[in-house]
Amino acid sequence: MSHVSNWIQKRIPVDFNKLSDVTNEPVPNHMKLWWFCLGGTPAYLFMVQIITGILLAMYYQAGPSVAYESVRYITEEVAFGWYIRSLHKWASILMVAAVILHQMRVYFTGAYRKPRELNWMVGMFLLLCTLILGFTGYSLVFEQLSYWGATVAANITDTIPVLGTIMKKMLLGGDGYNEHTLSRFFILHGAVLPVTMILLVVVHIALIRLHGVTEFQSNEEPPSSKRHFDFFPDHVLTELMLGLVLMILLSALATVFPASMGPVASPLQTPEVIKPEWYFYVTFRWLKLFSLTTAVVSMGFIVFIMFVWPFIDAWLVRRTKVSEISVWIGIVAVFIIVAMTVWEAAVQH
Amino acid sequence: MSLRTKQTIIAGLSLIFLISLIYVQRMEVVRRQEESGIIKPHIAVPSSSQDCVSCHLNSTPGIIQHWEGSTHAEKGIGCVECHQAQKGDVDGFTHYGQFIATIVTPRDCAQCHQNVAHEFEQSHHSKAGNILASLDNFLAETVEGSREVFNPHSPTPGKAVSQVNGMASAFSGCLQCHGSKIGFKAEDGGMITVDDLKPDKEGHPTVQKAVSRILRDSEGKPIFHEGTWPNTGIGRLNLDGSKGSCSACHSRHDFSPRRARQPENCGKCHLGPDHPQKEIYEESKHGVAYRDLKHKMNLDSEKWVLGKDYSAAPTCATCHMSGHSKNDGKITHDVGERISWTNRPPVSLVMDTDKDHKIVVETDPGKRAEKIHDTALAKRNRMKAVCTHCHTPSYVNGFYKQYDDLVILYNEKFAKSGKKIIASLRKEGLITKTQFDEEIEWTWFYLWHHEGRRARHGASMMAPDYTHWHGMFEVADRFYMELIPQAREIAKHASKEGLDLKSSRVNRVIDQILSRPEHKWFKEGAEDAMKKIRKNMKSRYGHRDV
Repeated sequence: MSHVSNWIQKRIPVDFNKLSDVTNEPVPNHMKLWWFCLGGTPAYLFMVQIITGILLAMYYQAGPSVAYESVRYITEEVAFGWYIRSLHKWASILMVAAVILHQMRVYFTGAYRKPRELNWMVGMFLLLCTLILGFTGYSLVFEQLSYWGATVAANITDTIPVLGTIMKKMLLGGDGYNEHTLSRFFILHGAVLPVTMILLVVVHIALIRLHGVTEFQSNEEPPSSKRHFDFFPDHVLTELMLGLVLMILLSALATVFPASMGPVASPLQTPEVIKPEWYFYVTFRWLKLFSLTTAVVSMGFIVFIMFVWPFIDAWLVRRTKVSEISVWIGIVAVFIIVAMTVWEAAVQH
Repeated sequence: MSLRTKQTIIAGLSLIFLISLIYVQRMEVVRRQEESGIIKPHIAVPSSSQDCVSCHLNSTPGIIQHWEGSTHAEKGIGCVECHQAQKGDVDGFTHYGQFIATIVTPRDCAQCHQNVAHEFEQSHHSKAGNILASLDNFLAETVEGSREVFNPHSPTPGKAVSQVNGMASAFSGCLQCHGSKIGFKAEDGGMITVDDLKPDKEGHPTVQKAVSRILRDSEGKPIFHEGTWPNTGIGRLNLDGSKGSCSACHSRHDFSPRRARQPENCGKCHLGPDHPQKEIYEESKHGVAYRDLKHKMNLDSEKWVLGKDYSAAPTCATCHMSGHSKNDGKITHDVGERISWTNRPPVSLVMDTDKDHKIVVETDPGKRAEKIHDTALAKRNRMKAVCTHCHTPSYVNGFYKQYDDLVILYNEKFAKSGKKIIASLRKEGLITKTQFDEEIEWTWFYLWHHEGRRARHGASMMAPDYTHWHGMFEVADRFYMELIPQAREIAKHASKEGLDLKSSRVNRVIDQILSRPEHKWFKEGAEDAMKKIRKNMKSRYGHRDV
């Protein structure tokens, strides 16, 4: 055994003991609580997406005349195709949910505050990437929702002041939905966004390691008690348990509610009712409340506020001397988001 | 939580995950077995249709059993998915809590089969209802029947007959293939059709006054006019403005692709004296091969691609609709997409079509080229791509030369001549404008509509007996022995009545036709030709009378 270790050591001149020390960072006790593992959950689901996505890409064909048929082929004819596609679909839904929950946890625990403001912004980029991945994902099926969803998104983009028209052209590959649009979405969905996300996740985790996890102390915890536990094997086993629960959940969802296919996209037939995936309900409702330009500009402003929130929060705390002001603002924001999502879900138009 | 506890939980979760993967494997195996027919597919009745199925299992068990054997049932498409009516649909009514419609139109099928519906919409099949304004319908509605109800001559023992429905022949005959104009009974005793409702783009009626006149039963269900429903004619004019009926070929409620692929399915309409395509096919080597090799046709296969899934024999669907190995298996529901001649009218036309799929009849070459959107040559090449799965290009080209020659011979020798004679008689006023009230009009109709079509269709599908004995032989007999003598007789009669000029003009047209080289034998005799034939016979068979 030592002979093998020596052989490896000579070819990879890394001190594995030191590496182990670096990676085996002490984990604060609060991480034993499940809701503090929500950061690992989207990362785990992202890995599921990459693996199932590679398998799906082996059969998927991007093009208006072939996309729908290739998805049908995957769903109905490829061995285990229905299962892989269903896993991909459900993992995407759970990933969006996990990212949102993770962001809420970070927000309400104030884990974005100095010196972690930049990591919050990286997280915001990751949230946007996740949402765009979801959107481009269901656009690839080329069913009615795909086509009209993309058309609506292009029209929204068009209303962005100054850059809207050029952005719309870049998104669609022309003035309107055409034979090149799907290949753009496919490249975005299968290459550009995943690679961007991997890089952002690396930066996100690196910053966490550099700053260390924000530490919280429970009131029930005596100040003198041990405040950390080992990353390995303690935390790794917790994450493994979470991963297995997620995999069982995904497998159950994929078999009980397998991914289906809606009517094939028809540019000539506008659906009477069109709704995006649930995570866009809030934006969809927002668009219906105001004129298109007002809604788009205000939404852009809200996203900007979310990006720079750590700095706004610091300014507000300084000004109001209320350290928990962000919690109250957060509660109001969550209430509005949930209310608008439920509103959109409850009405037909 | 201790490490030991975590490890135990992980072991338990791993086991559950493994079981879930075994379950997935089992699902996949069952799916494959169902696909290959080893086991019967599991049918899960969609929750929205549970009530329909439980009730109709007693009232109309056949419908449920047919549905259970359908791909729809396998895919979880139940009753409501097809029969559900939308708010504003004129034929919608509430039936045990569900707002449904009786008739499922191509617009309904297009919810899932959008491309198929679009192709069908472009096809000649969807326009089969145009017969409602054609000569054939005049025959059924007026000559065979009566557009007005009339009183019976005398009582019918055992049956109380107060009035005779003069449209019965059209309703039970023509319209069952061509499609009816679906109608509701009106409160005032009339009928309300798509013409009265004027549906918008979404299929909803725009004339509310017409909607309010619809007669409904106690449940609020609109009552159909019996003459127009039941009807599964392929060009049916539906109340939502759509044309056609998918169930004309895809019989409800099992919608069997297997059945639609078989020639017997097309034979519901494509048979008989005027368009015996089914009989012609049966006479051809294609039909002979099909009867012999039906068990090798793989009729149950999912895609049924010629050259991949089967090659034993072609059916109607193979040549005119199905996908094949040379077009990536692309099916078309536009049955005219591979047809290069139309042999339906008195004079056959080349199938150069415009963007609306109408035949271009423009004669000026420049203007013609501008109007053509899809050429007859392109259509023929699509058909040739099917033919060349089993025949060499030279064989296929040779066949098409023979077919073209036959159609052109019929057109030039008999069709254009006959048309000219009838036109001349009508122009001179020696026959009335009313069709079928003179013997010569029946003669001409038999010539092109029955015998002429048989000859052309026979040649198009390699049936020699239909081309010759049921076709050109009878065309020639009808032309020389009936049409010409009857036209002469009318001219003679006109002369007797003092209409010498009109008579001589008609006779001149006939003389001009008969003086052409192809008709010369009739006027001047053909002893030389007979001599040559006898000589050839003698040299071949050694005696004169064979």
